Amino acid sequence: MPRWKRFRRGPRDTLVVSLAEEELGLLRSLPEQLRDVLEDDTEDPARARLFPRAYLDPTAETEEAEWQALVGPSLLAERLDALQLITATLGRAVLAGDWWQIELSPDEVQAWLGVLNDTRLVLGTRLGVTEEERELDPADPEAGPYALYQWLTWVQGDLVEELL
Amino acid sequence: MTMPVEVQEPELEDLTLTDKPWIVIVWNDPVNLMSYVVYVFQKLFGYSRKKATRLMRQVHEEGKAVVSDGPIEKCEADVARLHAHGLWATMEHPS
Repeated sequence: MPRWKRFRRGPRDTLVVSLAEEELGLLRSLPEQLRDVLEDDTEDPARARLFPRAYLDPTAETEEAEWQALVGPSLLAERLDALQLITATLGRAVLAGDWWQIELSPDEVQAWLGVLNDTRLVLGTRLGVTEEERELDPADPEAGPYALYQWLTWVQGDLVEELL
Repeated sequence: MTMPVEVQEPELEDLTLTDKPWIVIVWNDPVNLMSYVVYVFQKLFGYSRKKATRLMRQVHEEGKAVVSDGPIEKCEADVARLHAHGLWATMEHPS
């Protein structure tokens, strides 16, 4: 018996992802939340993490402003496109035995990778994660978001392993 | 109509200065997975698994690594692609 894999190679260049029902529900709730972060223009460190500075030099403010004006809109559009793509894939999951399965094209795989990573960056920034793993009391208000962060880390790690 | 003007030949040092490449730096962060960073370096720059892994390790252990260089336009494009993939990248011109 092959060991269970969340992502496995499918026909042509596809990857097939297998999800438990609650996992599918969890993933379906992500794009809207990420869209809210992306489209909110107010000062937000989590959003800033997705659109960082290109020039570290604090005297390069003119270059930085020009760069943000030039590149910012297309980076945002690309992220919004990825949200649309992942939402479409989550809408066509089919039940196979105990698992919901979705066949992903290479473009859709990239959208998954981007949305998983962006969500982790937002959560990671909000939670102030470090490289050390945290032990949180279940009653801690951050326990839920941190569990989601760890689950997303696991899913993204599985996906990258399959792509490398 | 215009008068011919005397064009000053560029000095060799000026040329060297202008031609000095910009560099793109990727900084360590606690969120991006090591395997993901290797994957992004391979995908964006066409680096071998070995080179991508070496650069990822350098980022992780030393806090940063120069991942590409070249004219300013190329570096801007590289930084944009790295930001699109969620990596923390900046560019600078070494003086």
